[in-house]
Amino acid sequence: MILDLTKLVLTLPFVFVLPGFFLLLAIFGWKSASGGSKISFFEKAALAVPMSVIAVDFLVLALNRLRIFLNGPVLIGAIIAFSLLCYIVFQWRFGKKAKAKDKKEEDAAQNFFDFSYWQAIFILLSLFLAIFMRTTYLSDTIVPSSTDLGHHMFWVQKIVDAGSLPDYGMPDFIIGEHIIFAVINLLSGASPMGAMPAIVLLLLNIIGIFTLSILAGRVFRNPKTAAMIFFVTGVLYAINAPQGKYVSGGVVGNIIGNMLIPVALYFLYRALSEKDSVFAGLFLFSAAGLLFTHHLSAFILIYSVAAIVLAYLALNFTKSFKIVGGWFRIFLKPFPIAVFLLVIFYFLFVFTPSYFNPEAVAQATGEPTKITRFGLGLDQLETNAGSARLILGTFGFALFFLAARRKEYKFSFALSWAIVLLLMSWKPGWLYVNIPSDRIGNYLFLPFSLLAAFGIVELMKLFRKSSTNFFSTALLFILLFFAITDGLSDSAEAFKSRPQFQEAMQTFHSADYLAEKLDSSQDILLKDHVNIYGDSWYKLFFMKDYKYPLSRGNLSRYADPTKPRETCTRDMISEPDSLEGQACFSETGVNYVALNAQLEGNSFEKYPDFSKIYSSNYLSIFKRNIQ
Amino acid sequence: MSSKIIIIATIIFLIVSFSVLFVIETKNHDYDYKKSWSVVYFENPRDNSLDFTIENHEGEKSEYNYEISIDEKKISDNKIEIEKGAVQKIYPIIDLEKSARVTIEVTADDLKYRIYKNIQ
Repeated sequence: MILDLTKLVLTLPFVFVLPGFFLLLAIFGWKSASGGSKISFFEKAALAVPMSVIAVDFLVLALNRLRIFLNGPVLIGAIIAFSLLCYIVFQWRFGKKAKAKDKKEEDAAQNFFDFSYWQAIFILLSLFLAIFMRTTYLSDTIVPSSTDLGHHMFWVQKIVDAGSLPDYGMPDFIIGEHIIFAVINLLSGASPMGAMPAIVLLLLNIIGIFTLSILAGRVFRNPKTAAMIFFVTGVLYAINAPQGKYVSGGVVGNIIGNMLIPVALYFLYRALSEKDSVFAGLFLFSAAGLLFTHHLSAFILIYSVAAIVLAYLALNFTKSFKIVGGWFRIFLKPFPIAVFLLVIFYFLFVFTPSYFNPEAVAQATGEPTKITRFGLGLDQLETNAGSARLILGTFGFALFFLAARRKEYKFSFALSWAIVLLLMSWKPGWLYVNIPSDRIGNYLFLPFSLLAAFGIVELMKLFRKSSTNFFSTALLFILLFFAITDGLSDSAEAFKSRPQFQEAMQTFHSADYLAEKLDSSQDILLKDHVNIYGDSWYKLFFMKDYKYPLSRGNLSRYADPTKPRETCTRDMISEPDSLEGQACFSETGVNYVALNAQLEGNSFEKYPDFSKIYSSNYLSIFKRNIQ
Repeated sequence: MSSKIIIIATIIFLIVSFSVLFVIETKNHDYDYKKSWSVVYFENPRDNSLDFTIENHEGEKSEYNYEISIDEKKISDNKIEIEKGAVQKIYPIIDLEKSARVTIEVTADDLKYRIYKNIQ
């Protein structure tokens, strides 16, 4: 166990820090090099992980395109070669220029995120609480069992087994969601059916707080706001979706998207506000990384960027032609053009994401077609963003709206981002968004955390200015008390649930039994997703096909007013004796059924067509006798 | 300087967190650790063999009683002790002259597990 843990702990920085660190080194140089002034140590540290994720994705995509078998030595070689190449570029670009830099300018950038003593204590305390709460919550769910994670890890195992990337044949999965887990498995041996996936997701979730913090720091030009992000995003609603629950639930795309969206916007903000083509290139690079990782997050980013750009143009209407010309001058430079061409090359010739087709795009845009896509009510918005965060964010919004200069980029970045996400969640029809509204609502926390952090910092200033006033003190404490109690209430609720390790292990035991005893080329298995805990992991025991074994899904899924759905997987469990059930058995060839022992498991015993071949406290397995 | 302290502290927090989660998962990813359950199954579900297995994951040595019935008529009744975490295979010898349902009922304390085959 110690050796396995050591291998995993050593593999994580090799995959998630090394490539990104050297990439940033090649682009910005070391502290004393000529490019060092652009980016502080804190920003480099925060960006190393997302840059690594994207770099590793692109490396693996290239290896796969070259038909190189993906295994441990190949991946180690590729990561080391990439890092070495970046180091050579760094030496070539910055090696002899170290002394040429204006020291004052450099120090200003290096010190931008040099927090004061109390700010550092505050960040450390917030980080400790953020990691502690997530770890405590995850410790009750760490044995793999969640449905989404099971589906994702099936594809990870496919990559590991085949040594190449899969053809999904469906737009639901995107390759960037799986590459990093496969790489970690191939290098460390850590199984996808262990703690590794949750550990990786927890790492990316925590790094997401850092990336939001550097965005806040730059937009509001205030390290206090950057520090406050650690409290607003890390501590408040630490367990609610899309934080701890998304980590344990294996919502891979969202977790990576929540880390990469602030990174892309950070680079865009710096590219536009500082008229810097290097940041423009990195914006394209991080946006491409998102496109290869999660379609919904990429969709959110596209809408966010469009809103920011349009708002800025509208607020500077008289100078709009000049502004657009300026943007062209930023983006039409060698570095961004090279990145753009590289991305296009990857899309066309290396790996085209499975969702990248006109049909999938048409499905996501247009008038909402289902009740779940008509928008969220205010109470649902409050649940998604968190009451305290929403109130503080609204307060921050109002203050920033009144205080900031409207013609500056920060005004458009901070406010348009919040407005567009609010509209996409609340009135998606206005923006031709045809995606489940609650999924969009999960992104609200990003801009509202930014604004809430700003709001709290400004509130503190107001309090300090009128500290003799009893009412301002009382107001501040009431507000913070509300924020902390409401923000931590979800954590308190989450800890009340008991671990279901015993059920998960019984599910695994039954899957192991069936995988050993059945001939999956002849036998067709149906399992009950509704009442079996951790059932989606069944497919990892067979590794036959994504849709094997068949599964009775949540019952609401069978009632779809927009198109007819198959109902056999439901009828074969709910009414196996009925004419429909019998016809389904003949049609599908199902001859084994796995059920919760306490529910359908008991009632199934009355059907004479079945033998019961397996019985545990939690699961029953039946074999159909009549073929 | 404060940035470096924050990054180093974060690395330490994360290593501790990952280690705790890894150890908890490894320990609990076990059929016996802090668990209490049993399972009975046929060794060969694809044929007419009645060989079956009892696994004891009750967390302690347990005595199991198993009854074999043909069409609800009991034909044998035995007891067996199984160590904690052990797997016991049982090979009943039964002559069947016609189609029947053979049921194996295993009990231990207040637990009852039933498996059966419809033999053609």
